[in-house]
Amino acid sequence: MNRKIGVYICHCGGNISDYVDVEKVKQAVVNDDGVFLAKTTMFACGDANQKEMVEDIRNNGLDGVIVASCSPKLHLLTFRAVSERAGLNKYNYVHANIREQVSWAHSDNKAGATDKAIQIVKSAIAKVRLAEPLMPFRFPAVKAVAIAGGGISGMRAALGLSDMGCPVYLIEKSPFFGGRTSQWDVLYTSGQTGGQMVSELYGELLKRENVKLLTGAEIISGSGNIGDFKLKVRVTPRYVPENCNGDKLNESIAACPVELPDEFNFNLTKRKAIYRNHPGQFPQTAVIDMTSCTRCGECEKICPEIDLSQEEEIIDINAGSVLVATGFDPYTPADGEFGYGLSDRVITLPEFKRLIELNDSGLVHKGRRVRKIAYIYCVGSRQPEGDNKYCSRYCCTSVIHSAIQAKKKFGDITGYHFTRGIRTYGKQELLYAESLKGGEIYLQSYEDDPPVVEVNENSLKVRINDILTGIREVSVEPDLVVLVTGMVPRADNSVGALFKLPKGRDSFFNEIHMKLRPVETVIDGIIICGACQGPKNITESVNSALSAAVKSFSLVNRGELEMEPIVATIDEETCEWCGACYEACPFDAIRKTVKGTREIAEINNSVCKGCGICLPVCPVDAIELTAYSNREIESMIDALAGSYPIMTTK
Amino acid sequence: MPGPATKSARILVFSTEKISDPAIDMAGLLKLHYPPTVYTIAVPCSAGIKPRWILHAYEKGFDGVFIAADGTDCSYGDSCTDRTGRLVYQTHELMKQKNIEPARLRMAAICSICSESFVKQIKSFNEYLLRNSIN
Amino acid sequence: MSDEIRAASYDALVIGGGIAGGEAALDLANNGYKVLLVEKDLSIGGKMILLSKVFPTLDCAACITTPKVSEISRHPGITVFTGAEVTSIEKKGEREFETAVTKRPRYVVEEDCTACQLCEEVCPVVVHDEYQYRLVGRKAAFIPFSIASPRVAAIDIENCTLCGACEKACPPKCIDFTQETEKYIIKTGTVIVATGFKLFDPLKIPRYGYGVYKNVLTSMEMERQLAPTRPFNTILRPGDGKMPDRIAYVLCTGSRDDTIGNPVCSQICCMYSLKQAQLLMGALPMADVTIYYINIRSFGKGFEEFYEQAKGMGISFVKGKVGKITETETGNLILRYEDINENRVMEEEHDMVVLAVGVLPNTDPLSFFRNGELKADQFSFVDQAEVLSSPARTSVKGVFVAGTASGPMDIPDSILSAGAASSEAISYLKQ
Repeated sequence: MNRKIGVYICHCGGNISDYVDVEKVKQAVVNDDGVFLAKTTMFACGDANQKEMVEDIRNNGLDGVIVASCSPKLHLLTFRAVSERAGLNKYNYVHANIREQVSWAHSDNKAGATDKAIQIVKSAIAKVRLAEPLMPFRFPAVKAVAIAGGGISGMRAALGLSDMGCPVYLIEKSPFFGGRTSQWDVLYTSGQTGGQMVSELYGELLKRENVKLLTGAEIISGSGNIGDFKLKVRVTPRYVPENCNGDKLNESIAACPVELPDEFNFNLTKRKAIYRNHPGQFPQTAVIDMTSCTRCGECEKICPEIDLSQEEEIIDINAGSVLVATGFDPYTPADGEFGYGLSDRVITLPEFKRLIELNDSGLVHKGRRVRKIAYIYCVGSRQPEGDNKYCSRYCCTSVIHSAIQAKKKFGDITGYHFTRGIRTYGKQELLYAESLKGGEIYLQSYEDDPPVVEVNENSLKVRINDILTGIREVSVEPDLVVLVTGMVPRADNSVGALFKLPKGRDSFFNEIHMKLRPVETVIDGIIICGACQGPKNITESVNSALSAAVKSFSLVNRGELEMEPIVATIDEETCEWCGACYEACPFDAIRKTVKGTREIAEINNSVCKGCGICLPVCPVDAIELTAYSNREIESMIDALAGSYPIMTTK
Repeated sequence: MPGPATKSARILVFSTEKISDPAIDMAGLLKLHYPPTVYTIAVPCSAGIKPRWILHAYEKGFDGVFIAADGTDCSYGDSCTDRTGRLVYQTHELMKQKNIEPARLRMAAICSICSESFVKQIKSFNEYLLRNSIN
Repeated sequence: MSDEIRAASYDALVIGGGIAGGEAALDLANNGYKVLLVEKDLSIGGKMILLSKVFPTLDCAACITTPKVSEISRHPGITVFTGAEVTSIEKKGEREFETAVTKRPRYVVEEDCTACQLCEEVCPVVVHDEYQYRLVGRKAAFIPFSIASPRVAAIDIENCTLCGACEKACPPKCIDFTQETEKYIIKTGTVIVATGFKLFDPLKIPRYGYGVYKNVLTSMEMERQLAPTRPFNTILRPGDGKMPDRIAYVLCTGSRDDTIGNPVCSQICCMYSLKQAQLLMGALPMADVTIYYINIRSFGKGFEEFYEQAKGMGISFVKGKVGKITETETGNLILRYEDINENRVMEEEHDMVVLAVGVLPNTDPLSFFRNGELKADQFSFVDQAEVLSSPARTSVKGVFVAGTASGPMDIPDSILSAGAASSEAISYLKQ
């Protein structure tokens, strides 16, 4: 067939044309077989060029289009949409990446970059010559969203989705909703406590009929696709019914012989194997921690309603999209890092926050009155040596706020802040100003010269070469050292592992593009938000949660989605049914069928994910993948091999 | 700056659309340079590469073929690494039959942020191919 | 002016066509709602479309903005008014807002203009080009900038001499001097305020010499010199057209400064300065770039790594506040500053100084409601009534805020806040 192909080569405003001679690329392909027109353009993605493409396609009846520009991850969909608007099937569009994989990768070698761009455009031409129009598969989308994680982000996203009219499953692994926020006392800037904030959200969620709340619930398997995820959730029983409450419950708890450190208070206090929620946690009922319960039966004797025979339940959930809001862990310092572990008077910021809340009249830690506190910033963040290169962004404001709270509550406290430069960005700057006015003392270390914590038998000493007072060693002997620890990805990566969520350089879950698709992941239908994506404060988490909610909603709202028609196809003449493809397929999309007198393989298109894993296992080469056929791949290889001189200069 | 012309090996990379191709993109973003005679064809999954495509590349004059495999991150299942390994083995056997040095086919798992590793691997493969001056 | 008042109704009104307003409009329209997007300027895209590249990925700003802008302009669910302003909003009841909008005449029939630029060529009037931050001139008949949306000419009637040359030159005859201001009453169920921010005017700090010393420029002027659609195609000193080789950045110009009445940190200046410094090192490999700072605030995802990258490229960092700038005979500039590392006052000569100007509130939305129902915070940004649990909510139920209208924010945060505003707007419409 004679093709009429249009080729557009993008300058990308210099991003490409500074290194690739785009005019030369155009000249090299304009006379290629099937090429009807070739143009260069300043911004292929710009409105003016898009309009021009539509007109070119319509006026000339183009039946194949190529844009050579940035990575297809950015703009493949943009140009497919352009083709569609012009009445050209979007699978007759082929994208050529000459920015990330050419102009930027070879900015050291302009001649080499230009040659490579030519070969890449030629291979795209080879592919588009063979491209067939395809119709996307349409399939129903379940109008429900499953949310993994019942902290502030998950709860707020649930409320948002519910109010937009979308059924929600809110799945929390621990026995209580509220996440990290329930552990914080007075919040900046609202002045309410974390518990009050969680309480309000939980109260609202209880009023929503389309919200299913699950605690003690762990997603143990996930299958399916965008529009139709199937989750199995294991729900651990609480063992303590609601009618076991009040004094009876208190006595039952008192009777429990098993005592454990309470993780809610970062082990500053203890709890029993049967225990109640803390004030900021919901639901406000008790639970038995079966991993430590000895089944001695002491609690049952007091509260016969307690039912240790309750069994875990497996619930099946069907959702069109999964929203992941699994949060963060506070960084745990290494043994000896700024004295951590060497003295029990060296604690972390989250521990300190709990300590403020747990004390009333004066600040007492391990039986000692605390008056002088050294705060050491950026512990576990901005590490020159370690893996955590990033700034955790919330900690400066958080510790300054905590220091002010401690001063307000206990009066006689002086804080010495050993900083690496304060980052109270935006309006938070006012809090820093307030702290300075309140007499807190700020010191700053040199980048390569962090403060040193000396742990002696009866005392602590923090030394710093301070920038702010002019290269002078300053030392303080505090009663307590607070390590201002940042956020790290949750150690429990079960949800991430289940869906194979990609991680960024900072090891947090990664979005597709920070600005274009900030809450989507490369796994279609899986949306991320909150601190599992990177450090965020509460406002920022809520903004991302609601953005995620509206994104999930737009996926399932219409009840129907489109799927790429990229599937495996069987050559019925060649296939001799040996079962190798059936064995290889991870999705059970292949089965045996009878055609006339012969047994052959058959693909179930609605299950096939187009991975191609069945292709190489076929002993008679009877399987092809749409858009990746032997002819297409081999003609691309032919074009890439080309006849151009492959000489480079260094 | 013009300097002495040096040859670099022609390498065909099979990358994967969701995992290793983003890493190769990021290598560009970070301006990590590698020879411009390295070309990429992206496929959905590295376990779906046909040996005949690889052999075709040698026939057409490529010095080396590099499979930037999904590794354990593959979104199509755990069998990916094994299967990619198997097809590489199978291709090595076919290469021996055709008197093509098996070392001209390499595979490494390239995760979605393994840009530096990709560039390191490709540079070392390029050096190997040039040193053994296959063509 | 015609007295006719046109009426129209939509599900949602989005005020401001920058990156936040555009994102909110798309979120709403993609969920089936009809949206009117009102933009004061002649093009949508806000400040972002004029930027060079964006931190921390160094993607070109146009590569991200233009496709979004293009998607907005052709979305069947979105109507765009450019050159239009909201004059008042009245809340008649829940999900009943009436907004008065004035649309200024463009004197060009939008649908017919082909952006051929012949009118520009023949127009005899030259004025400063505000889209190039006055670095160069433009005509009175002009296309705002090359990637504007709509990419349509406009007549700057203030400066036009009505000579008629453009009318004669225009091939589709789409210049129409009889166009009049159009007035609308728009009924909508909800309103999103995405009116963005204003840049600090450095004339308010006379000791830095902006407007007096030619080689002192603002970061936005530098942004235009670095942009792909840049006026000069290289970096030049405005004073004498020489390529600079000792460039200084003065951070916190108009931010964290009680003396000019803005104690707030603008949140973006450190990062855009780090970005510009990196781009300058690329464009002028021999140049020295020095950044004078109080604290470097590289707090977002990938930002600290970007700061490390800047240090690795050889950009100098001096911790200290610049007190005063003076000019030498050659047009070079002497910066007097307190070097905090050295603990003394020092002086240093540079041949170009970039003032990293901060983010100030755009107070326009505060007068939308006649009785001040839309409240401001203490800095005159739109107040976030429930800043932690519902950051997009304002003091008026059904009116939501997106992007920098509520305070300084970078682009990723603006986009997320726009998502929150659209989510809340949909919830409100469904109540």
